[in-house]
Amino acid sequence: MTAAVRAVQRRGRGLLARADAWCNALYTWRYNPLYHSGTVVVASFLILTVTGLYLILFYRIGAPYESVARITDQTFAGQWIRTLHRYVSDVAIVAIVVHAFRMFVQDRAWGPRSLAWVSGVFLTVAFLVCGWTGYVMVWDVQGQLLATEGARLMDLFPIFSEPIGRTFVGERDIPSAFFFLNLFAHIAIPVGIALLLWVHLSRLARTHLLPPKPLFWGVTGLFTLLSVAWPLAMEPEADALRLPTDVALDVFYGFWLPFTQPLPVGWAWVLMLSAFAAALSVPLLTRPRPEQAPEPSYVNPRFCTGCEQCYHDCPYEAIDMVLRDDGRDGYVGLVDPAKCVSCGICSGSCAPMGVGPRHRTGRDQLEDVLSFISRVGPSRDRVVLVGCANSAACRSGGPALDAEVFPVSCVGALHTSVVEYLVRAGAGGVMVVTCPPRDCWNREGVMWFEQRAFHQREAELKDRVDRRRLRVVYAAEMESGVLARELASFRSDLANLGAASAEKSIEIDTLCATPEVPVAETADA
Amino acid sequence: MKRMKPIMALAIASVAALAIAALSRAPASPLESSQPLVRLSWRVLGVRVEECRPRTEEELAALAAHMRTPQVCTGGVADYVLRVSIDGAETVRDTVRPSGARRDRPTYVFRDLPVEQGRHQVQVAFSALVPTAFEVGEQPLEFSWEGDVFVDIGEIALITLNPSGDALVHRAP
Repeated sequence: MTAAVRAVQRRGRGLLARADAWCNALYTWRYNPLYHSGTVVVASFLILTVTGLYLILFYRIGAPYESVARITDQTFAGQWIRTLHRYVSDVAIVAIVVHAFRMFVQDRAWGPRSLAWVSGVFLTVAFLVCGWTGYVMVWDVQGQLLATEGARLMDLFPIFSEPIGRTFVGERDIPSAFFFLNLFAHIAIPVGIALLLWVHLSRLARTHLLPPKPLFWGVTGLFTLLSVAWPLAMEPEADALRLPTDVALDVFYGFWLPFTQPLPVGWAWVLMLSAFAAALSVPLLTRPRPEQAPEPSYVNPRFCTGCEQCYHDCPYEAIDMVLRDDGRDGYVGLVDPAKCVSCGICSGSCAPMGVGPRHRTGRDQLEDVLSFISRVGPSRDRVVLVGCANSAACRSGGPALDAEVFPVSCVGALHTSVVEYLVRAGAGGVMVVTCPPRDCWNREGVMWFEQRAFHQREAELKDRVDRRRLRVVYAAEMESGVLARELASFRSDLANLGAASAEKSIEIDTLCATPEVPVAETADA
Repeated sequence: MKRMKPIMALAIASVAALAIAALSRAPASPLESSQPLVRLSWRVLGVRVEECRPRTEEELAALAAHMRTPQVCTGGVADYVLRVSIDGAETVRDTVRPSGARRDRPTYVFRDLPVEQGRHQVQVAFSALVPTAFEVGEQPLEFSWEGDVFVDIGEIALITLNPSGDALVHRAP
């Protein structure tokens, strides 16, 4: 089972990487809508709320179809607002699917991220149910179709003494109370969505709720124009004595009908619950075996100065500062393993290199770079690519680019001392190749690295390092062309600088002022 | 090529938006929607069939003060038999029990009977199963309807109770 899931993930990841590269070429990484799928859902939710508030002013539970028809007749407002409400609700579903697909294929749905995945599944169901109530509100043939099938499904459970389906048979007029309840649900479910969204984002620091303004207004403007140019028309009114034959169905909210309609109601529920259970079980299906799972970060209290930088930089709020109990004053970082996704960003944040996942702390990285230099020995006119695992550098490989590659799990985890070491050891240049910032699998890795390298954020790249020999390039997995171009440009700039000088004895600061602890003593840590 | 890029970006975004708008109103023919139906749907309160006797002094004394109802009844709401014939062939013959966990709620019928397009002769009988020993007052014990119905593709012929609840009637689209 796990092998099959991994195969699906691999194929999906390849597909997504191609789509990302294509959208980056068209819209640039900054406004690539695929990178912003999560925020597009929130933006859609906002637009739905605003347009919904307008529509509710004119909706009448005593005459649902007639009131919606009156809204549709308002050429200057109601018609396009109703259409926009509908189109944007569809955009939300598309964005949810893209977002879930990205998280699934990028293996970001297990462990501490399970809460976000599971709440995301419930959010999706809430969106679909809310859409269902929205269509029933109109009480056209599509609403009738969704209502009767929904009632058939609900009637399996003996909640009421009589089947709900009898409400729609035409024995008598459908009571206003039904449309009142439906309207209530259509308004109450979004409140639940807002609460679920809070749970969904609860383990993230510094969440981005909305896409960049150009993308937000671009999507809003495009669908507003489309709503004006191609507005919705009223479908025929629901008629209890006629089966809906030709329906203009919203595929995004009615996709389940062809699957459930031919089945007996019990089997329809089995099908739906199986799909729901499969979605919920993704965290279990995708989690690695315990021996393969990356370990959470660990704070070595001997080196921790209590500076709080790792606490601030952690994108998952997995680090707390607690009072020391080792006789020294102040605070020490403490990692909550239940929240830590092992991104290693804390490794890059710690000047004295006292925090990080095992074998990936700053100290471990220094050992790795020493071994890399002794193995590869970068000459003074060559470029070392420090590549994030999900960037083009690791995919294209060094030989294809005529450069050595020093791979890192995430540039956010890269300690600036590694860059310092490479430059001082005589590398012609160091090109840090990252995935685009909005696609950072660890959310803020690129941002933190840039701030550490160029804006004096702790643990900053020391002033003694020649910044002209360092370049940061965003090149997603499939953007080897971008990488090749940037590399050629960097080489050309480096040629003007002349040969790099190599220091014979390189001392790297591995301790801050406070602790007087030799590095060797920490080997067991 | 560089000048073409924004145009291409806009064109592709527009095509994607149009695709979403088109899928928002995709023409669909729901499954089984063309099959004409004879639909039976009604609800009756049911005939109470119960035997009551006054409680004895001893029984009353054994009960808590607030439980001392003067008589004790056994029985409940009667079952019904539903018989439907379409074009002379008996299609349904079922016992219909009152709803509710204790079978003391109203009795309802809710059946869809698929038929071919065209005219059909339909006979419906819905009779309470009441032992002769019971007094049932003025409540109707049997509802029946007999007549021709015409149903076209996608239409439903509804057999239901009239608003006063004393006779079955036919409603056509």
